[in-house]
Amino acid sequence: MRECEIKREERDNLDIVRLDGALDSHSFPRLESTLNGLRDGQRHRVILDCSGLEYISSASLGALIGFARRAREHQGDLRLVNLSPKIYNIVELLGFHKILEIHGNIDEALAKFGE
Amino acid sequence: MTPEPASGATLASLLFVLLAIFSAALFFAITAIRRLRHERDELIHQKDVIFGFIHDVGDVFAHSENIDLERMLDRVLFYAVRTTKASAGAIYLFDKSEGLFRARSVSGIFPPLTGSVESAVSTAVSKSQAVEQLVRSQRVARGEGLIGETADFGTPILIEDAARDPRVPTYQLDFLKIHSILLVPMRFLQKILGVIVVVNRVDARPFIQADLSLLQALADQASVSVHYAGLRDSLNEKQRIDHDLNVARQIQTALLPRAIPRLPGLEMAAFTHSAQEIGGDYYDFIHIDDDHIGIAIADVSGKGIVGAIMMSISRSVLRAQATMSTDPTEVLKGVNRIMFEDIAEDMFVSMLYMVLNTQTLELRVARAGHERPILVQSHDKHCQIIDSAGVALGMADRDGFDTLLTETSIVLSPGDTLVAYTDGVTEALNGQGDEWGADQLFETIHQAAPNGAHAVINTVQHQLERFVGGIAQYDDMTLLALQVAHDYKSTL
Repeated sequence: MRECEIKREERDNLDIVRLDGALDSHSFPRLESTLNGLRDGQRHRVILDCSGLEYISSASLGALIGFARRAREHQGDLRLVNLSPKIYNIVELLGFHKILEIHGNIDEALAKFGE
Repeated sequence: MTPEPASGATLASLLFVLLAIFSAALFFAITAIRRLRHERDELIHQKDVIFGFIHDVGDVFAHSENIDLERMLDRVLFYAVRTTKASAGAIYLFDKSEGLFRARSVSGIFPPLTGSVESAVSTAVSKSQAVEQLVRSQRVARGEGLIGETADFGTPILIEDAARDPRVPTYQLDFLKIHSILLVPMRFLQKILGVIVVVNRVDARPFIQADLSLLQALADQASVSVHYAGLRDSLNEKQRIDHDLNVARQIQTALLPRAIPRLPGLEMAAFTHSAQEIGGDYYDFIHIDDDHIGIAIADVSGKGIVGAIMMSISRSVLRAQATMSTDPTEVLKGVNRIMFEDIAEDMFVSMLYMVLNTQTLELRVARAGHERPILVQSHDKHCQIIDSAGVALGMADRDGFDTLLTETSIVLSPGDTLVAYTDGVTEALNGQGDEWGADQLFETIHQAAPNGAHAVINTVQHQLERFVGGIAQYDDMTLLALQVAHDYKSTL
C-alpha cells in the first residue's frame, strides 16, 4: 500500500488536511501528530480531504472520531469530504456516517462551518 | 709601519664579544634542549593518550555483544569525551523510520547545534537538563547543519576557532558558547550510521589534528558494534512482538466456544483464522433459555494484547446481558452502555447479534456496525442481505447508540441457510494484492448452501486458502453458518 502523504493548508479560521495514500497503523501516527498540533494550536475546525485516500484501517477511523469529539467540545469539528465509494462503504458499515459529519466536497463543508 | 700592539681595552672588548657569542650559543642550546625536552614530553604525553585510547577501545568493546545499543553509545561517548579532553559531546544516529538524525547519547552540557534556543534554556530551572532535553528532542535532516554535512560527505570536520566559522551557532549564555568543535562520521559498509560530536577542550585550547584522528579511530570501531547492536535490538523487538502475539492468541483461543451447541433440527458450524497481527475476531453461541439461542460475531478494532483483552471484555459483557432479554437491540444497548464508559475513546467493537427462537424459527437481528449477514432461502437459492441500522459498540453515548439501532426480524424456513462473517474474509489478500471480495464470498456460499452449514464453512475456507496461497493476512477471518434442517419440525 502507498504511504499516506499528508498536506495541511491553513485558511482564515479553519484548516484543510489533505490525505493521499493509505491510512493504517503505520501511517496514522503522522496524521495524529498533525491533528494534535492543530488542537494544541487551538485550531478546532478541520476539513479532512479524503479524495486521495485509498484505504483506512478501522483503528484509524476510531481515532478520527476521537478527534472530532474533542473538536466539538471546543465548538469546532472534524469534517470528512470527498470520500471514495469504497471508503464511504467502510464508514457507513460501521455506522460512523451518523457520528462524523461527511460532505461531498470542500465547499459544502466550508458552507456548513460558516453557518 | 709595524702594527700597534693590542691595547688592554681592545682585548677586553674582544673577550666580551666572545663571551657574548658563547652565552648566546649557550642560551640557544639551552632553549633548544628545553624545546626538545618539551617536544619529548609532548610525545610521551601523546603516547600516553594513545595507549590510554587503545586501552579504552578495548574496554568499550569488551563484552559489547551483550549490551544494548543505548548503553553501548553512552560508553563510546564517555571515551570520546575523555580521549579528546572535551567538555561535552553527543552521538547522533540516523533513524531509518524518520529519515532523520537524532541525539541518542549526550554528555556534559552539549549546546544544540541548531541555535535559537536560549530563551527556553535561560528560564529553565535546571539548565543542564533543559539543554539535554532540547538536544534529544531535536531532529536533524540529511545535509542540515554541521551534523548533516559530516554525514552527507562522510568526512570529519575540525573547527579550531568556532567564532570565525558561520556554520557554528553563537550563544550569549556562557555555558552554551562553542569555542572549538570536532565532528566525525560513523561509517559501516559505505553506510553512514551517525555522527560523533565533541565541543570545547577542558584546557581551553582548540582541538587538534591528533584529536580528530583518535576520535575517528574510535568512531570506526564503534560503528561496527552499533551496526550489530541495532540489528540485535530489532531482533529483540521482534521477539517481544512474537511473545505478545502468542499471549493474544492464547486469550483468543481460550474465549472461543469449545464446542458448537447441538440443537435438534439445526446445523451450526464456524471457523476462525488468526492473522499474523491478531485482529480480535470472535464468535459465540449463547444459551438464553430453552427456546432461544443467541448468536454473536464480533471484530475488535485494536490488535495484539489490547485487542485480545477488549475481545474478552466484550464477550463477558455480552454474555451477561444476553441472558436478560430475547430482544437483540436491548442486549446490544446494554453492552454499549457498559463499554462506552469503560473503553478507550478511539476503540470500538463491531458486533452482529441475533436471537433465534428455536421453536418458531423467528430470527431477530441487530447490527452494531458489523458486516450484514447473508440469508440463502431454500426455495429460490438466492443470497439475500439482511440489513438493519446501528453504530459500532463503544463509539456513541447511550442516546446516540440507542436511537440509531434498529432490528430486523425474519422467520426462517426449513432448508434456509444464514451466514455471518468478519471483514477479514472479504478483504483477504492474495500475492498480487487483490481482495477476495464480497462477490466471491456470495458465490461460494450460494454454491455450497444446499449441502449444509458445514459444507458452507469448509468450502469458503478451502476457496480462501486457494485464493491467498499462503500469503500472511493482516486481519483475522471468521465465518459462521447456520442451517435449518430440511425436515425441520417444530416441537411446539
